[in-house]
Amino acid sequence: MRIGPYAVTLEERTSLPAGYSVLTAVAAIVLALGLASVLFRSPEASLPDAYRAMFTYAFANPHGLSATGQRAIFLLFCTYAFLVPLRAGLWNIGLPGQVYAGGLAAFAVPALLGVAHAVPSGPAALPIVAGMVLAAAAAGALVGGAAGFLRARLAVNEILVTMMLNSVLFWLVAYMIKEGGPFMSATGEGESFRLPAGLQGPTVAGMPFTAGVAVAAAVLLDVLFAKTALGYRIRALGENPLAARYGGILPVALSLFVFAVGGAFAGLAGYHYFAAVPGVYKIPGNYGYYGDLAFYGVISALIARRSALGAVPIAVLFAGLSLGARFAQGLLRLPFGVDYALLGLLMMTFVASHVVLHFRLAWRRARPTPGGRVPADAAEG
Amino acid sequence: MSVPTAAATTVLGAYGITKRYPGVLALDGVDFEVACGEIHALLGQNGAGKTTLMKILFGLLEPDEGELTLHRRAVRFRSPHDALAAGIGMVHQTRRLVMAHSALENIVLGHPRQRGLLNLRAARQEVEALCARYGLPLDLGARVWQLSEGERQWVEILKALYRGARILILDEPTSVLTPPEVQTLLAGLQALARQEGVTVILVTHKLPIVTAASDRVTVLRAGRVAARLRTSEATEAALVQAMVGREVALRASRGDAAAGPPVLRVEDLAASNDKGLPALRGVSFVLRAGEVLGIAGVTGNGQDELAEVLAGLRPATAGRIYLAERDITRASPLERWQMGMGYIPADRTAVASIAAFTLVENTALTYHFDDAYVRRGLLDDAGLDALTQEIIATFNVRTPHRRARAHHLSGGNLQKLILGRVLSRRPRLLLAHLPTQGLDVEAAAFVRSALLEAKAEGAAVLLISEDLDEILALSDRVAPIYEGRLAGVLTRSEADPATVGAMMAGLRR
Amino acid sequence: MWELLTRSLEASAIFLFAALGELIDQRAGILNVGLEGLMLFGGTAGFITAQLAGSLPLGFLAGATVGVLLGLAHGFFSITLRGDQVISGMGLWILSFGLTTYLGNPYTGPLGMARLPTIGGLSPFFLAGIVLVALTWFVLSRTSLGLAIRSTGENPAAAEASGIAVTRLRYLCVAVGGLLAGLAGATYTLSYNPVWNYNFLMGWGFVSLALVFFAMWNPWILLAGATLFGVMWQLSLSPELVLPGVLSRYVWRMLPFAITIPILTVISTSWFRTRYGLARPEALGRPYVRG
Repeated sequence: MRIGPYAVTLEERTSLPAGYSVLTAVAAIVLALGLASVLFRSPEASLPDAYRAMFTYAFANPHGLSATGQRAIFLLFCTYAFLVPLRAGLWNIGLPGQVYAGGLAAFAVPALLGVAHAVPSGPAALPIVAGMVLAAAAAGALVGGAAGFLRARLAVNEILVTMMLNSVLFWLVAYMIKEGGPFMSATGEGESFRLPAGLQGPTVAGMPFTAGVAVAAAVLLDVLFAKTALGYRIRALGENPLAARYGGILPVALSLFVFAVGGAFAGLAGYHYFAAVPGVYKIPGNYGYYGDLAFYGVISALIARRSALGAVPIAVLFAGLSLGARFAQGLLRLPFGVDYALLGLLMMTFVASHVVLHFRLAWRRARPTPGGRVPADAAEG
Repeated sequence: MSVPTAAATTVLGAYGITKRYPGVLALDGVDFEVACGEIHALLGQNGAGKTTLMKILFGLLEPDEGELTLHRRAVRFRSPHDALAAGIGMVHQTRRLVMAHSALENIVLGHPRQRGLLNLRAARQEVEALCARYGLPLDLGARVWQLSEGERQWVEILKALYRGARILILDEPTSVLTPPEVQTLLAGLQALARQEGVTVILVTHKLPIVTAASDRVTVLRAGRVAARLRTSEATEAALVQAMVGREVALRASRGDAAAGPPVLRVEDLAASNDKGLPALRGVSFVLRAGEVLGIAGVTGNGQDELAEVLAGLRPATAGRIYLAERDITRASPLERWQMGMGYIPADRTAVASIAAFTLVENTALTYHFDDAYVRRGLLDDAGLDALTQEIIATFNVRTPHRRARAHHLSGGNLQKLILGRVLSRRPRLLLAHLPTQGLDVEAAAFVRSALLEAKAEGAAVLLISEDLDEILALSDRVAPIYEGRLAGVLTRSEADPATVGAMMAGLRR
Repeated sequence: MWELLTRSLEASAIFLFAALGELIDQRAGILNVGLEGLMLFGGTAGFITAQLAGSLPLGFLAGATVGVLLGLAHGFFSITLRGDQVISGMGLWILSFGLTTYLGNPYTGPLGMARLPTIGGLSPFFLAGIVLVALTWFVLSRTSLGLAIRSTGENPAAAEASGIAVTRLRYLCVAVGGLLAGLAGATYTLSYNPVWNYNFLMGWGFVSLALVFFAMWNPWILLAGATLFGVMWQLSLSPELVLPGVLSRYVWRMLPFAITIPILTVISTSWFRTRYGLARPEALGRPYVRG
């Protein structure tokens, strides 16, 4: 493009500023929050009030704070579910499907054992709870692994397969919990039966035990990728599949592995939300909302880039923002879907900050065109 | 023949051309002139700036400073479009053809007269007339992937002529041709220049081509013009001197073969290419410890498939491979590494290294399975770091730091790192596929002597190369490959350039 | 039965528009996995505009315009910035999914406008789709523009060396692809099912994307595939018309998605690839660096 005597071109930076991934992350989040001010325009309240309402509910209100924590655990599991295959260069956008699979499998355990309405409690119930957790992880791993297998073995596009599985599992949940489905609640309200008290996820100091699992997993994942041979192989496969094969790395087994691990994390996310969050303990009629929420995991993984531990604060922030935005929406009578809009804005600003840091505008004085007699110009067009 | 004086008939001129890339001065005030109807060679080593100059002449790049003239009037080429319109045609070193389309579709692509509806019938008649004039039997309806390299090159030349090019730029036109195809090409180019008055610029680093076909020669060295001569007045020694700037030992000294026990035995090996078509059709040979077997051939005669099947990256459709008398036909690449095979692939950046990884991480690519460097599943970072340091020192890899990323390394240094990594495993079998392709003279000499050193230490070396000089300089035995079969296995004394060249071209069996 | 068929063909038209746009993108070497996002945004913009302006044509215009803009945004990221096309595509989809949910929410509910005229019950969109298929096929295989587009998708360096303006051509294709995706979305919200609901598409765009692969980049096979999927989709929505009482309606809803996976698998086998696989544009999804 030319502006006056200057030619303006977009050039890729040859060297990146130090700590640029941190910069990208901060820039994306701040920019998205700034843009969100458009969403908060309301005749009822001023802009600072809207932000204050959002943040105080999410991080200062005792009720909001515990909701933020529970949602953050869910988002963290979803983040890992996307992050592990991403390190191998694969896109697991089947998070919703794997979340549903995890939820269904968790509820299948008491349903199959016939204890859905009986009330085992105390130590006798613990093996059943453990079985529910394992079943949820296994179901997620199975759904994720299916996509990983097809990808690795036949190079079937994993994005399409996981999206299709999302839809299939969405309707499978509907079948299971609605209109006389096997998991329908006794009252027939279009939701699943409620877990009896003994089978509800144990809590420690008011937080579900899954919080510990999520934080431990972050540490383990970071160690896996930074220190172990297995993590090295996954990274090598993600950076250059041809070189990985050359180096004796087995792409089929690894692709299957990362998708199964990713799926297991998403399955745990499903278990966590439907079977371990205080006050829920059922698959509600609006389960699709939790599937949509899983996409926050995609963004927090993209923004945190390499680090699972780095994703912890991001997940907490996103959990608070999405909850606080909903709260502010109700309080200030904003239109529905502020949390969805924030998801979209974050994606947009992530890509934009990526561009800003990778490219720069170069201004150069344009060379004067040799005057008048330019045969090439005349022939152009 | 008499060469007209340049001043009178210069068709294309470039004056004071300077081009900078980040950190590199590619061209530094270069003047270049070609006259009407001459064959002008542009000679230089890799990195001398030939390619950059040529891209500027064709509008693929714009110079930072300097001026181009066409028929002594200033011109500016903003894109190849401008150059094409001015009657300049270019034949690139790597084919710029759409493999899935027919030869004719490729020829008419982008032609100004083919606007709107395609009129392939009229175009076919015109191109067939051109073919008839130069005696080229070319199936215009054939898909380009079905044609030989020589035919593909003619498709590009015809395409330029069909567009009315009066100046043809050919970049390394002989690099992938068999000797007979080279003869056809040079004869055709001379006919074009003498009979039609077409100006030909031959960009090459091969001296025999220059002396065989050109009228004048311009030598580039490190971005500057090192010499400008009439070919008839130039000696090979003078050209080498101008090109290299000093004496370089072009040949590594080959130790005597002390052939030991068989290391690699291949029986009737066959494999398919990526399109599922047979590419390797029954290859058998035995390779012994302490010898170099050179597989000589022109691109696309099954060398890629041979290397990949031996490395375990491509399944064999028939036949057997034995490493030290153990059947490894179905062994994974990992098992082959562990059994003492070392593989240097042709593609340094796409296959043999990971651009975003540090040098240490790249070293780990062939050590992540090695118990000496993995303890309880954890990579031994300090050990790998020390190993990388040793490779950098031994193989003279020029790098800012061993924690630098591999994409910062030049081609030669990257190749030395890869070579060092592979040799550090002390392989008993070394597969080297195009180990010096694209390297400068010094790096190539270094790689060659390292291969000979490995041989002297008892490794069996399979060298797959398209450079006949390299094959003859390094090999104890030579096996020319043609259309997926070995045309024979020659001892060093039987393997003279003419015989090997003819066998590579499928002329003798 | 006739109504089921006409509804099916209208559904087919939506698949066809979207997939045809994606096919044109891909023939030029650009992969847009965010097709569903373009459709969502186009459909929502069309719906809102039509309702506010009280005019269906304006609605279609708005849908198409938004589609073009988003297509160009994808083009900017993937052509000019040479970014990862999957990141850009997925980004566009998540962006559209999030923003349309917010922007469209106040308009939740039926459009409340007169239906477009039909030809004996048959929607004009399917007929328009057939015309578009013929036109696309003709341009791609019989004109110099088509040869240039196909060459750009196969080998942009070869096209550039032949004097084709690769960048401009790719932008043209992403704009046309975006236009068709936007129209597909608007056809959904203004004619096929004129009720706005959050995430109303629920996978139409991803199925359309899969259709391009099924069709092996051939517009005529795409027509057949889109028709088949239109019928199947409609059946999955109202199975009681054909098989009353068999299986839950939720099980039927899984059908079009579930069937896509085995088809994708079959066309990915090496048997299928060596036999019919040459059609895949060689440079698909790869950024082009000039020179």
